[in-house]
Amino acid sequence: MAQVRLTGIAKAFGKVTALDAMDLMIDDGELVCLLGPSGSGKSTLLRLIGGFETPSEGTIAIDGVDVTHLPPERRPTAMVFQSHALWSHMTVHGNVAFGLKLRRLPRAEIRERVEKVLDLVGLAGYGARLPSQLSGGQQQRVALARSLVIEPKILLLDEPFASLDQHLRERLRDEVRDIQQRLGITAVFVTHGQDEALAISDRIVVLADGRMQQVGRPGEIYAEPKTAFVAGFIGAMNMLDGTLGDGEIAAGGLRLAAEGAGPARLAIRPEDIALSEPEEGRTVTVRRMIDFGSHVVIDSTLSDGTHLRIQTDKTIRVETGERVGIRVERWTVFTEGEAPRRYSSDTVRPFREARYA
Amino acid sequence: MIAALRSGMMGGRLSGLLLVALPVALLIWLVLWPVLQAMVGTVYFPGTGFSTASYAYFFTDDYSLRNLWLTLWVTALTSVLRVTVAMPIALYLRFRTGSVAALVQALALFPMFVPSVLVAYAFIRVLGPNGIVDTVLVALHLPKLASPYLTPAGPIIGLVWDGLPLTLLLLLSGLGRVSIASVDAARDLGAGSFTLFTRIILPRIQSSIIVTLAFNVLGLFSAFTLPFLLGPASPEMMGPYMQRTFSDNADPLNATTQAVITFAFCAAFGLIYVRAIAKGRKGPA
Repeated sequence: MAQVRLTGIAKAFGKVTALDAMDLMIDDGELVCLLGPSGSGKSTLLRLIGGFETPSEGTIAIDGVDVTHLPPERRPTAMVFQSHALWSHMTVHGNVAFGLKLRRLPRAEIRERVEKVLDLVGLAGYGARLPSQLSGGQQQRVALARSLVIEPKILLLDEPFASLDQHLRERLRDEVRDIQQRLGITAVFVTHGQDEALAISDRIVVLADGRMQQVGRPGEIYAEPKTAFVAGFIGAMNMLDGTLGDGEIAAGGLRLAAEGAGPARLAIRPEDIALSEPEEGRTVTVRRMIDFGSHVVIDSTLSDGTHLRIQTDKTIRVETGERVGIRVERWTVFTEGEAPRRYSSDTVRPFREARYA
Repeated sequence: MIAALRSGMMGGRLSGLLLVALPVALLIWLVLWPVLQAMVGTVYFPGTGFSTASYAYFFTDDYSLRNLWLTLWVTALTSVLRVTVAMPIALYLRFRTGSVAALVQALALFPMFVPSVLVAYAFIRVLGPNGIVDTVLVALHLPKLASPYLTPAGPIIGLVWDGLPLTLLLLLSGLGRVSIASVDAARDLGAGSFTLFTRIILPRIQSSIIVTLAFNVLGLFSAFTLPFLLGPASPEMMGPYMQRTFSDNADPLNATTQAVITFAFCAAFGLIYVRAIAKGRKGPA
């Protein structure tokens, strides 16, 4: 197990700043997800930790040892790549044993460790096969085994399941989490999938434009986004431009209690809106209903045409074009340069409080 | 519906055949027919019948054999030198980006746009007797070096320079199949540069190297301009030898025999090329 400490990390490619002044501490045995859209710098950060890039500024320490300028082969890290990066001219055994052979371990020990790790990833008996004879999920398991077999202190995963279908992705991410917890290994996982990040992380680092937006536990990031970007990026969110004044925010024909003055952004989760009787300033027109099986999302418009998504119980049925009333139970107001202000109506049910705790 | 599908497939097949008909006809007319004519013309003589005397002469004539041996030797050495020189450049260009890499690529591909006669002239001006190298050595009061001009080394140097761009492009194409992630993965596990090259890169570009060597051999075996202008008068490579036998000696039969023997060697390497291509299509590198 190991700790990773990033201090003032910055990376520029020519005139383009990929990462800017980043501080982060990753604890022993923690699984941290780097989450962000394309170009946010998450893969660059992972490659910096792995030694594939050198930071323009700052230091990287693993277990207190400065590794900033060490090449990948001299760091106690191992990376699982998005494209599997298996060597097609080698068998599964050859791929997994490669790192051990470089360490000149005895043949018997190599065989034993390879078999053990293949068993761990559910590929016992596949050693003689070529990568081309495996499915995408099996190939990614081989890539994981190849990284784990050298017993790295830090496991780095660069969008490892991006090329797999949804079902397989969910199964593999659970397996990776399980293996990571069983081995107690520190892991850094890059993804642009918020579901993936929310499902497996101890903590999530949200990145945008090379800057760290927020670091926190999945539930905390979901419930208490610190920036409008995080609010809009994590989970489904209605983001409305509005104006603060007279103790309320007016956005898209909706008026809700809020302090302050001037332009602001109103963020409301679809599940924080309940249906009620129509009333002035709290009425929407139903555009369509999207049935997700477990719940229903109503795509509606406010009086000025602004879209508003409402998540509700699947037993509720409304018709397209129908005007229904809404009751906003929880909302957040973001203003430039200030901390977000969170509000909830009196009607917020007690379980919602507990849900985000 | 099945009938309509079948009809569509038949139509597609026919238009496909029509598309390749013209090039195939040209190939038969301009390549296969002359080759067949040459082969038949060296062993069958109207009025006298079959004879392999010209082949017997070639393979018993010391001068012809020395020419064939020189050609084989120059071809082998030049091919190996081209791959040896082009490989580090190809590796650099594959795994590096930026303005320096672009400059290196431009410089490496430059010989492709220079005619062989100019290459020969430049060679003579630089490495020939009283060339730039000689002049500089004299100016520095250093002893003169033996010029490679008109020695077997002459055409080798010229041919390496001349064929470097094609070799580089072929190797680059092969290296394109080696992903940067697969190299990074090996580095991550502790592989140094030598291990990376021998254990990861080389096995995955084997077929590209065979194709590159085959292409080189095909071109070099029948090379004419540079061996003619830079090479020794005796022994000589097969290209100049054929030309001299045909024009100076006015001996078309022996010239054709030499051409058929040259073709046989090239065809053997062509077969290696075809097999490498077929192997490459069967599975990923």
